[in-house]
Amino acid sequence: MKPEEAARLLHAYVDRELDAAKSLELEAQLAADPALRERFERLRDLSAGIREKADYHAAPSSLAARLSAALPGAASIAPRRATRWILPVAAAALAAALAVGIALVRPGDEDALLREMVASHVRSTLGNRLIDVASSDQHTVKPWLSARLPFSPPVADFSQEGFELAGARLDYVGGHPVAVLVYKRRQHLIDAFIWPGSGPRDSAYSRDGFNVERSSAEGMRICLVSDLNRNELSDLARLLTARR
Amino acid sequence: MTDRRRFEQQVLPHIDAAFNLARWLTRNDHDAEDVVQDAMLRAYRHFEGLRGEARPWLLAIVRNACFSWMQRNRPAELAAGPDAEAAEAATAPADGPEALLARELDRRMLNEAIAALPLQFREVLILRELEDLSYREIARIANVPIGTVMSRLARARRLLAESVRVIAVASRLQTEK
Repeated sequence: MKPEEAARLLHAYVDRELDAAKSLELEAQLAADPALRERFERLRDLSAGIREKADYHAAPSSLAARLSAALPGAASIAPRRATRWILPVAAAALAAALAVGIALVRPGDEDALLREMVASHVRSTLGNRLIDVASSDQHTVKPWLSARLPFSPPVADFSQEGFELAGARLDYVGGHPVAVLVYKRRQHLIDAFIWPGSGPRDSAYSRDGFNVERSSAEGMRICLVSDLNRNELSDLARLLTARR
Repeated sequence: MTDRRRFEQQVLPHIDAAFNLARWLTRNDHDAEDVVQDAMLRAYRHFEGLRGEARPWLLAIVRNACFSWMQRNRPAELAAGPDAEAAEAATAPADGPEALLARELDRRMLNEAIAALPLQFREVLILRELEDLSYREIARIANVPIGTVMSRLARARRLLAESVRVIAVASRLQTEK
């Protein structure tokens, strides 16, 4: 690979858009050329810096309300052709459901789940209840979790890859008990919520400056929550799902 | 399930992404709200056309709504586009300095510098770094070839690194006065 081509491909490499063959070639070049290596590192830091520090403008809640009013069709139950008794009955059923706290199957369930996890992450970083079992030893953490949960989550330390296992805690999210592995990377804390199940894979949810990376592997859902940038967060997701 | 329910499940959850893009393109909360509302109604009307992932699909609609809005309200900013592109082709060095140390990156400066980027560079940068979209998805949204996405992204990062450095120097001079 010529130096000009290597320089041109650096961006694509940082953006993970290079195929395996080209990546290998470029990595060989990076190992041999300190100047290129330095450019790569600066570029990577710039990209990480933007992800970390640029404002993510979440929609104001007033906008959702405006939209709800502007969209055609009714937001909830719309008994256009319903006979007169349906409305009161539906209203009563809804009130009853709300009264006993039954979670209706709503479109926002996944969204609510994500919000719960972000909230749990924020609470745990604010207070002292970050870690119930503090250990970087997976052979300490895993049995501790297995003894307290109806399932056995995968536990691994990735210090080699820059994600140090700090410990774990238990939490209750989306109506079930979950394992939360806590990882450290530089000054960032990453919570990995793990429970049996499957769900959507979407790497780009974020709220209030926190990123959520969703994945699942072998019957476990793994959701990472952190203020760490998405690229590095998906690195950890890949490690966690590959290890199983 | 009604269309409205399906729309609320599949498209509305991406309202933050829609607003973030519109806010970065219009650089104004109020305008971004108008554009997103407009784009969402348009998305609803074309909802049957949705194939595949909802987020890039919605962002393409938001992007177009932003550009039509700019056409009506700030034509000067859009007109700057082709010139900037030509300047890019003329001046883009093969290995310009993206040199910038992460610790130099002050949050406020960085946001100012991104907001000051010419529209077509700002657009690809936001889609790549804040929405984490692939080159292919960005190309589809911005309606340009993938090669153009790559060159704009490289240019955006170079411009950004340069202007952050300039802002940093200027503010240092300011405090020394």
